[in-house]
Amino acid sequence: MDENSLSSARERLAARQTELLNALLANGPAPAGFDEQRLGVERLALLSKRRGIVRMLGPAVADELGDRFRPLFDAYAAEHPRRAGSRAREDAASFAEWCRVSGELSEKRKPRWKFWQSN
Amino acid sequence: MAGIKDLGVGIGWRSEIDLTVERLPGVDFVEVVAENLHIGHLPESVTLLLERGVPVLPHAVSLSLGSADQVDLHRVEHLGAVAEAVGAPMVSDHVCFVRAGGLDSGHLMPVPRTRDALDVLVANVKLAQRNLPVPLALENVAALLEWPDGELSEGQFLAELVERTDCWLLVDVANLYANARNIGTDPERFLDEIPLERLAYVHVAGGEQNGDIYHDTHAHAVLPEVLEVLDELCSRVAPPGVLLERDDNYPSDTEIAGELAAIRAVVNKHRG
Amino acid sequence: MAAPTTARGTRLPPEQIGYLVAGPGRAAETALARLLDADLVRVSRDGLVSAVHQTELGVSTAVETFILVNLRRAVRFDAVVRNAAKSAEMRTLHQQLRARRLTRDPRPRLAAWWVFLAFGVLLSLLAFLEPWTLFGAVAFLGVAYWTFGAKPLTRAGRAALKDVTASDRVLTVALEGFRGRIGNQSVGELFGLPQSVVKMLPRKKRKARNGGAASAAGCGSGCGSSSCGSSSSCSSGSSSCSGGGSSCGGGGGGGD
Repeated sequence: MDENSLSSARERLAARQTELLNALLANGPAPAGFDEQRLGVERLALLSKRRGIVRMLGPAVADELGDRFRPLFDAYAAEHPRRAGSRAREDAASFAEWCRVSGELSEKRKPRWKFWQSN
Repeated sequence: MAGIKDLGVGIGWRSEIDLTVERLPGVDFVEVVAENLHIGHLPESVTLLLERGVPVLPHAVSLSLGSADQVDLHRVEHLGAVAEAVGAPMVSDHVCFVRAGGLDSGHLMPVPRTRDALDVLVANVKLAQRNLPVPLALENVAALLEWPDGELSEGQFLAELVERTDCWLLVDVANLYANARNIGTDPERFLDEIPLERLAYVHVAGGEQNGDIYHDTHAHAVLPEVLEVLDELCSRVAPPGVLLERDDNYPSDTEIAGELAAIRAVVNKHRG
Repeated sequence: MAAPTTARGTRLPPEQIGYLVAGPGRAAETALARLLDADLVRVSRDGLVSAVHQTELGVSTAVETFILVNLRRAVRFDAVVRNAAKSAEMRTLHQQLRARRLTRDPRPRLAAWWVFLAFGVLLSLLAFLEPWTLFGAVAFLGVAYWTFGAKPLTRAGRAALKDVTASDRVLTVALEGFRGRIGNQSVGELFGLPQSVVKMLPRKKRKARNGGAASAAGCGSGCGSSSCGSSSSCSSGSSSCSGGGSSCGGGGGGGD
């Protein structure tokens, strides 16, 4: 197939995929033709998966937040959909930072610098 | 190519259960998640399995070949490098998109089954194939929602993908079951429509019914209904390999061995 | 002296044997060995211990329960042993052993203990001439007895260990520790543990100078001198989501 029709196919597809991810990850409007209830199910599933990964990567933060972890993470996630190319570990760090800035998490314990440890 | 060499029954290698995978009887091959391996220092367990002659197949989750965007060739290159590091006969990823419009869904999202999406997918797959040292197999994903205005059934969509790219198919029977439950796909029709002679191997996994939704969690036991889909597949073709995927809440060695044995029993039933 | 109350046949549980042999660290190792034996936990090559997923706990002792409930996330092998050795459950176990007079607080022997003995003897001899020195004699002999020190194992404790042999792999851990050897095999190998994992545990302590088998007051093997406590749990660097993101499964439900 020729390049022109491929690139216009890419454009049309990009618009649809972006619209869907915006609806699922960034509180965007529901794209036409989708079952609203299913969008909700998918939104929760994606959120739950992301939350689980952040909990696993930052267990100390999750422990400190206790019952507040879930609502706080969900609020954070809606404000900060994961950017393409970002790493899960960066997501966990950015959530912890977000909690500190909003006063939900105590300030980072001073990293104790030990002279016998490099760096 | 006459087809894939007989792989037998395998399990997804995960670092949490590395010793279990090593000592379980009847693990004929394993799959590693390519994104989790670093070229140059393979996990000791993977090296040990390779020394024993156990085939190790890299499975990727991040190529996002169904994305409207261009393929990220760094990811393809990494997958190829992993394949070479483990001497794999084949690599795989999914028929899905992960990223779009600068966002990352963190999951394998279904692509619309339209001509547009198929054209883009075919172009992306061809580019990936040109940059891979070994054949590429593509897997059907589990969807929680259905795109409107699909022009093809899932089977037709994959059949045409194979025809146009000459890729192999990795059929996940748990995903077939999930789609049957969640969006009403007919697994038998799917199996009728795909070119079974291009079947590389099969995935089996556990999940959980939650209200009216079946979640393909890979963290629960394999349902008998999923084995029934495997049975249906085996009644049509002898799959070159069947692999159990378990990604979390790992049960005891005995329980995992039991699931592998159940899979083997289904496969053997049709071999006479 | 009362006869040992642990008659033959009423064998102590392995964890208690481990405690009597080498203190809380060994008891913790033994509890972990029991959990491994029962397929309730697993260890990976990078030395992370995780709970096997199942509905019921299947534990039989308080220390085992302590270990298991603290394995909601994977924890390093050595940290599991160290944390269990320092747990309140382990102190309770110690108290039980003391209550049954199998172990006691050890006292170090004073190098000059014999000086008190000598004075005591001298004064008691002198008491034949000067009876009032008897008080001094008793005092000196008392101090001599105290400074002679005490091993942590009582006679009953030693009797309880007398017939214990490494008849299964859990008991082998109680007697030798994961780092020990039995024949030409490492005890860890009985559990399929690679040496890299077993060697996370501190080397077996030299025998205490005062000859006690158990360093019951201290931490025994597996307790180490590291001050990092429990902070070393789950380095998770190799977790299955370190890469570009999504893994195939886990579309997971609303559950958390």
